[in-house]
Amino acid sequence: MAQVKNRLTPFFENITFDREDNELVLNFGPQHPSAHGQLRLMLHLQQEQIVKAHPDVGYLHRGMEKMAENMIYNEFMPTTDRMDYIASSSNNYGFALAVEKLIGLEVPRRAKVIRMLLLEINRLMSHLFWLATTALDIGAMTVFLFAFREREYLMDIIEGYCGARLTHAAIRIGGVPLDIQDSFLHQLRVFLNKLPQNIKDYEDLLDSNRIWLMRMEEVGTISTEMALSWGCTGPMLRASGVAWDIRKEEPYELYDEVEFNVPFSDKGDNFARYRVYMEEMRESAKILYQCMEMYEKCEKDGETELMAHAPKYISAPKLDIMTQNYSLMQHFVLVTQGMRPPVGEVYVATESPKGELGYYINSQGGPYPYRLKLRAPSFWHTGILTDLLPGHYIPDVVSIIGTTNIVFGEVDR
Amino acid sequence: MAQHKVNYTQDGGLPIALTSVDKIVNWGRSNSLWALTYGLACCGIEMMASGASRYDFDRFGTIFRASPRQADVMIVAGTLTKKHSEFIKRLYDQMTEPRWVISMGSCANTGGMFNTYATVQGVDRIIPVDLYLPGCAPRPETLQYGVMLLQQKIRANKAGNAQKAKRLM
Amino acid sequence: MRAYKPKNDVQAKPYYTDRFYVAPQVPKFDVETDEVFASDLEAIKAKFEVKDAYIQVEQMVVYINAHDIYGVLELMRDELQYTQLSEMSAIDWLAKENSFEIFYQMLSMTKRKRIRVKYFIENGQAVDSVEKLFRSADWSEREMFDMFGIEANGHPFMKRILMPYDWQGFPLLKTYPLEGDEFAAWYEVDKIYGKEARDVIGPELRDPARVDRYDSERFARLGFEVPKGTEITDDMQRTVQEYQEKDGVFLIKKLDKESSVVIDDPQR
Repeated sequence: MAQVKNRLTPFFENITFDREDNELVLNFGPQHPSAHGQLRLMLHLQQEQIVKAHPDVGYLHRGMEKMAENMIYNEFMPTTDRMDYIASSSNNYGFALAVEKLIGLEVPRRAKVIRMLLLEINRLMSHLFWLATTALDIGAMTVFLFAFREREYLMDIIEGYCGARLTHAAIRIGGVPLDIQDSFLHQLRVFLNKLPQNIKDYEDLLDSNRIWLMRMEEVGTISTEMALSWGCTGPMLRASGVAWDIRKEEPYELYDEVEFNVPFSDKGDNFARYRVYMEEMRESAKILYQCMEMYEKCEKDGETELMAHAPKYISAPKLDIMTQNYSLMQHFVLVTQGMRPPVGEVYVATESPKGELGYYINSQGGPYPYRLKLRAPSFWHTGILTDLLPGHYIPDVVSIIGTTNIVFGEVDR
Repeated sequence: MAQHKVNYTQDGGLPIALTSVDKIVNWGRSNSLWALTYGLACCGIEMMASGASRYDFDRFGTIFRASPRQADVMIVAGTLTKKHSEFIKRLYDQMTEPRWVISMGSCANTGGMFNTYATVQGVDRIIPVDLYLPGCAPRPETLQYGVMLLQQKIRANKAGNAQKAKRLM
Repeated sequence: MRAYKPKNDVQAKPYYTDRFYVAPQVPKFDVETDEVFASDLEAIKAKFEVKDAYIQVEQMVVYINAHDIYGVLELMRDELQYTQLSEMSAIDWLAKENSFEIFYQMLSMTKRKRIRVKYFIENGQAVDSVEKLFRSADWSEREMFDMFGIEANGHPFMKRILMPYDWQGFPLLKTYPLEGDEFAAWYEVDKIYGKEARDVIGPELRDPARVDRYDSERFARLGFEVPKGTEITDDMQRTVQEYQEKDGVFLIKKLDKESSVVIDDPQR
C-alpha cells in the first residue's frame, strides 16, 4: 500500500503461533476515535474478557520539565497552559501559587477574587468537556452537542477576558494582569441562571437511561485502598470513599471564605464518578455566585490592586511601564534577566478539575528553576488502568477510560 | 518545518482542471471531505469544538471518521512527538488516495513552542502537507476557512489521474 | 580562543550574574515549632538515622540514608498515617557533587500534613523500589529511570515510559541538551525512512527567531499569502480572503463577506 519506500513493516502482534491458549493481544493504538488523546493500551484478551492490560504513554511527551530548566519563570507560564489543556487557568494558577510561596508574596484581594472566578469557570469547562466526551464515547451524541454548546458560552466569557479560548495564560505570578471586562459579570449571571436547567437536561437524558446504567454501574470499581495506593486524587478518590478536597482541607486563595460542599460516594464505580462530577458542577455554580458578590464588595471597598507589589520580582503595571522611566527599566531587567527567587524548594498542590495538580520547584537562586517537577493527576489515573481493567470486557474499557478523565497533555507533559 | 523542496508538477504537467468530468468529480470530492480524527493535543480540542454545536462541520459535508481507509483528509491537530511519528506515517500510508493533509496549529506546522528533544519540528518532515493553519490553538473559524481553501484547491486540480506521490524519495 | 563552555551542564545559563550577589534563602524552621511534625520525626528517629530535618513552606523535609527508604516509607504508611505517595523523582547534582538527590512527597489526609523524604545517591547507584508499598511508585520509578537513568531494584517492569523503548540517552540530565543530541535529531527520519533520507529531508530547523520574508517555501506573510514557491517582490498586493471561487460553486450557497452579520448577543 505504501507508495513511498519506508522501513515500517506491518505489525502482526496478534498472530502468535506458539501459544496454546486463546489469548489475543489487541492494540488500542495511539490514535483513537475517542477523544482522550494518545493512549496506547495493549490488552491481552481471553475471548472477550481482559486478562492483562498494559498502558503505554509518552506519545505526547514534549519535554516541559526540561524546558523549564532553560526558561525564566514568567516565560514558562504559557507552557503550563498546555498541560491540562481543557482547563488551562488551573495549571497557570498552580504554577503561580508555587512561585509565590517560594518568594513569599501576598497577592492582593481583588486579584484573588478574579483568580477564583477564573478557576471555577475552568472547573465548569472541564467538567462539561468530560461529560461531553464520555457521553460521546458511550454513544450519547446529544449530550456531546449540548455540553459543547454550554462550553462555548464559557469560552466566550474567557475570550472576552483574556483573548484566548483554550490556552489562557490569564494568571501571572503575583496576581492577574487584567481586570474583568464590563460584560463578564452579566454574561456569567445569564449563564449561571440557565445552568441548573441544563444540568437537569443532561441528567434527564442519562440518569435513568437503561443503557447508561448498564454501562456505568458496577463497572470499573476502584476500592479505597487501590485509590490511595495508586495516588488517585480529585473526583476519582472522592468517588471511592475518601472526601479529600484540597480546597477544603488545605485552603488556598479565598476558598475558606466561600461555602460549598464536597460531593463524595463510597461505591467507586463509573456511575459514582459520574454523579460526583455532576454534583461538582452544581457546587462550582454556588462558588461562582459567592465570588461575584465578593468581587462587587471589592469594588465598593475600593481595592483595585491586581498585582502584588514586589519590585524585585514583579514588574509594574503596564500603565507605569509605558509612562515611567524606572518602571520601564525594572521591567526590562526582569524580562531579559529573569526574576531570581530565593534558594529553596517548594511543593504546592492545588485542586484542579482532574485531581491534585502539584508543582515541585527547586530553585538555586538563578532565573531558571533548577528542577521543576509537574505532578499531574492523570499520570497515575492512567497507571491505575493496569490494575483496574483485568476482568472487564472490551466495551468497558471505553467507559472506564472515559470516566477517569485523563488528558494526555498532563500525563506526558 | 521541512527544508526540502517538493516538486508538485513532476510527472504531471499543469495540475489544472479543464474538462467537465474533472469539474464534476472535483465538486463531489471537495464537498464531502471525510476527515480522519487526528487530534493529538490542544488543537484537537479546537477541532472537536469546530465539529460541535456552534461551529458545525457537517454543513461542509465533513464527517469525522475514525478509520484511515474511509477518510480523505487528515487534519493533524497537535504536537507530533518522535515516539508517535511512526504511527502517523503508518496511518497516512493506510489512507486511500486521493488524500490531503491539513496541518493545524503551530506544533504541527513547525514544532511550535516545543523546541525540545522529543518533538518533531513540523509534521512535514514525515508526511507531505497541503495546507498549514497558523495559531496556537487556531480558532474554529480558522479551521473552517482552511477547509474551504482546501476545497478550492481540490476543485482546481486535475481529477483524472491518480494523485502523484508528493515526495521525492 | 573560543569561550569555555562547561560540558557537565549544558542547560541555558543567565548571561549576567552579579559577582557580589548573595541569593537569599527560603526560610527554614525548626521541627519543634510544629507538634505533629515533631512527633512524626521522633517516630522516624527511633528506628532510622535522620541526617537532617527542617520545616520549609509549611512542609517538613527529612534527610535519610538511601538504604533505609523502604523501611521509612513503610513506617510512615502503617504507623504515621501518610497513606499517599504524591510524587517521587530525582534532582541532578552530577556537576556539583557527582550525585543525585531523590525525593518522595508524602501526604497524610487524616493529619493534613505533607512530608518530603530525601536522600542522596552516587552516580551509578540504584535505589530500592517502594512499589510494593505504594503502587503509584510503579510508574514514578519508571519515569525516573527514563529521565535520569536511575534504576530501582525490585521493580516489576523497569522500562522506559515516556520516551520510545529504543531511545538512547537520559533526557533530564544536565548534560543532555534541550534540543537533543544527534540521536534525537535524526530519530524519526532514521526510524521511518532510514539513514539515506537524512540528506533529502534535511536537518531540523531549530532557530525560532529566523524569519525570511522572501522565502515563500517556509514562510507566509499574513495578509500577503501566496502559493509555495512563488517569487516574492517588494510590491505585492494583499491577498483577498476568498472563501469560494468567484463564480460560486454549483449548489453551494455563495458566501458573501458583505452580507455577513456580527452577532451581538452571545446567548443565541
